[in-house]
Amino acid sequence: MDTATVSLHDSAHIHDDAHSHDHHHELSFIQKYIFSTDHKVIAKQFLFTSLFFLMVGGFMAMLIRWQLAYPGQAIPLIGQFLPDTWVAAGAIQPNFYAQLLSMHGSIMIFLVIIPLAVGAFGNHCIPLMIGTDDMALPKLNMYSFWLVPPAGMIFCAGFMVEGGAAAAGWTSYPTLAPLAGSGQTLWLVGLFLVGFSSIMGAVNYITTILNKRAKGMHMFRMPLTVWALFITAILITLGTPVLASAIAMQFMDQFLHTSFFMPDNLVHAKRALYSGGGQPILWQHLFWFYSHPAVYIMILPTMGIVSDVISTFSRKPIFGYKAMIFAIMGIAFLGFIVWGHHMFQSGMNPLLGTTFMLSTIVIAVPSAIKIFNWLGTLWRGNIKFAAAHLNALAFVATFVIGGLSGVFMASAPVDIYIHDTYFIVAHIHYVLFGGSLFGIFAGIYYWFPKMFGKMLNESWGRKHFYWSFICFNLTFYPMHILGVGGHMRRVYDPYVYDFLKHFQPMNQFITFAAFALGAAQLILLFNIFWSLKFGKKAPRNPWRANSLEWAAPPKPGHGNFDTDITVYRGPYEYSHPDRQLDYWPQWEAPETVEGSTETTSKASSHNHH
Amino acid sequence: MLEWLYKDMLTFFPEGVSTYSQQLDNMFAAIYWFSVIIFFLTYTLLFAFLIKYRYNPNRKAYHFHGSNLLEFTWTLLPSLVFVGIGLWSEDMWTATKSEWRVPKPDVQVEVMAYQFGWNVRYPGPDGVFGMKDRSQMDASNPFGIDKYDPAGYDDYVTMNQLHFPINKNVVVNLSTMDVIHSFFLPNFRVKQDALPGQWIKVWFNGFKAGKYELACAELCGGGHYGMRGEVFMQSQQDYNKWLDEQYSAIKANLAANPPVIPERKAAEEPKKEAHH
Repeated sequence: MDTATVSLHDSAHIHDDAHSHDHHHELSFIQKYIFSTDHKVIAKQFLFTSLFFLMVGGFMAMLIRWQLAYPGQAIPLIGQFLPDTWVAAGAIQPNFYAQLLSMHGSIMIFLVIIPLAVGAFGNHCIPLMIGTDDMALPKLNMYSFWLVPPAGMIFCAGFMVEGGAAAAGWTSYPTLAPLAGSGQTLWLVGLFLVGFSSIMGAVNYITTILNKRAKGMHMFRMPLTVWALFITAILITLGTPVLASAIAMQFMDQFLHTSFFMPDNLVHAKRALYSGGGQPILWQHLFWFYSHPAVYIMILPTMGIVSDVISTFSRKPIFGYKAMIFAIMGIAFLGFIVWGHHMFQSGMNPLLGTTFMLSTIVIAVPSAIKIFNWLGTLWRGNIKFAAAHLNALAFVATFVIGGLSGVFMASAPVDIYIHDTYFIVAHIHYVLFGGSLFGIFAGIYYWFPKMFGKMLNESWGRKHFYWSFICFNLTFYPMHILGVGGHMRRVYDPYVYDFLKHFQPMNQFITFAAFALGAAQLILLFNIFWSLKFGKKAPRNPWRANSLEWAAPPKPGHGNFDTDITVYRGPYEYSHPDRQLDYWPQWEAPETVEGSTETTSKASSHNHH
Repeated sequence: MLEWLYKDMLTFFPEGVSTYSQQLDNMFAAIYWFSVIIFFLTYTLLFAFLIKYRYNPNRKAYHFHGSNLLEFTWTLLPSLVFVGIGLWSEDMWTATKSEWRVPKPDVQVEVMAYQFGWNVRYPGPDGVFGMKDRSQMDASNPFGIDKYDPAGYDDYVTMNQLHFPINKNVVVNLSTMDVIHSFFLPNFRVKQDALPGQWIKVWFNGFKAGKYELACAELCGGGHYGMRGEVFMQSQQDYNKWLDEQYSAIKANLAANPPVIPERKAAEEPKKEAHH
């Protein structure tokens, strides 16, 4: 199965002096598959680890949905087997519910979306798409992955300790969080480790993109996937250290009883432990200073992927390549000055609310630009409905809704009503599931042939898509309605309130749609594992695409390319009028073009702006 | 459970009963209809393109890289709309939340949230709130009413219920004893996080008599879901009657059991709580 033969590696070795010397001998199993420094293996490690945690986090969501549909009723089939600290007579208890919702969010963000979008696709795509043999810092890359499984285990170990897992939301606000037990401490430690994984990866990506591009790969010839990952890496480098500091402070408040976030005179059993004088809002500022850029860290790579997939399957250049890059930069920059919109109702100075409202409402503009450019790409294209493309189109469709719902929240006075309601939950899931996850699905269907040398089954891919897309909308659209009705977030039993009693049928409907949505993901998992063994062998360039990764053999070996790579044009030269073929790969030398007068790289770079 | 398929979102708002609810609902509606327009515009184009330009081997896509004029246009127009929404929102925002725009209260109460309920304090027959001292705060004295201040002995403290007259400016001075909670009155479109160590003013003016619910809107522990309170909006007459009933009981109690107000020793000067 493994094609990392010595001969391939040798030919790639000739023209790259940055290659480290330990690859001269045959690598042991552990060096090749466990502690690999090869970006492609690391990408797969991120992929499978994240898909595992996707199932874990998804299962927690199913439990949450059960409770909201049938509060206090025993979970069918498995309720009787769960521990007494979690359930009473098979029914979820309020403290366990709080743990479920906190861990669902934390796992999905830190152990699924970020490792998938940044770890898996960053690792797989960057070296291949810029035409080089590996990352600039392969060992750092290996450390970056290997922080994740221990971090994940530490996070989830919370469920085993007294008091249970973290239960203050993924947002972990003081004073509730520092006053909690060891589950919260484990959450802090796990998150600290995962943050370093991100930072290591980001530093590697920036270094690689700036220093290791192939000959002719000017910055403005890089595919948007690489641009998006580049900007994302800058976001991670600048933002994550602030989270790390905040975590360190909360850890000290919890473990050492400092009072960074703990004010005086709390009426609480642990009152005597704290000297007080701290500010709970300080945590919110530090946390959101990272966590708002974090949401762009989660969406930008998938925006890049979607651009490349739509262009390939429309057989048309991306509409407004440079505008798309500036939009990504705009989103990233503005993303650093909007964090206070999570804190409008927090008790912070309303004047700050005004400034954050204005910056937040402006960030809708670059996102809108991207939507229009994707529509522009489809316009007058020649559109193929491969599974990868369907998922990319779903990204566009759901991001419109997710983005529009964000406008309501940007208005601070409207936020007074919808803050901490299901309107926010709807928004989150439209952009993170509808956006990021469908974008990740697009990436999986698109690059599976390159990663594994096999084709995924297209028919099952389409079934997975339609089932997911329909059930996704049935699950999350009604949550906007719940929010408008005033249905709060994170409530164990909403029907305690008269004004929410009439929403039980709607919650039940959402629950059934959610169960169906969860079941649909089994199709993708089955497709992946079945195709790994029995899938059709993939050709080198199954989608007839232009970017450099398609020059490499299917499931490339160590060193990636089996030929010298030079770049002659941008990545979006589809359906060029001078060519018979409807694509023009970046690496194809100009002499092969019939009727074209272009022979110099200068002339070809003029072509795509 | 399927009404959302055919009813527009705005019909799901709970009844608005404050002067502010009308404004907020209008702002929401404006953004909503704007969103509906954009939704139909983008989805129409999306589906039209997917159908019209589906793959045909005899056709070639149009090799076109983009238009700076279009980029400029669809950057400028949304910017104008969004900045407009922002500026319209600004006045509504400061009118509700800024301390200098809180109207002179006709009725003022204090609310001290805790795990898991709402303590409520009225000033009592003397009309004056007793001074607060956080160091004296505990489960039996949720407001930390200063035992050295005679004005505090007649304060009316209750739980999970508030009574107010309609058509009057009500100010709720909000805080919490332990963790962050959030004071949420859906029918009034009021929401404010309660911070430990801080007092935050929340104001509203309700125009319809009735019983409305109070919920906690910030995860505060396992009992978060159970922090339900009730707000009774009454005519001025009925409110006065209710208040008199409570205050008569207090006066009778104080007459029967006159409190012994301790003398403050010099070393025990309390940390005076600044009224925010």
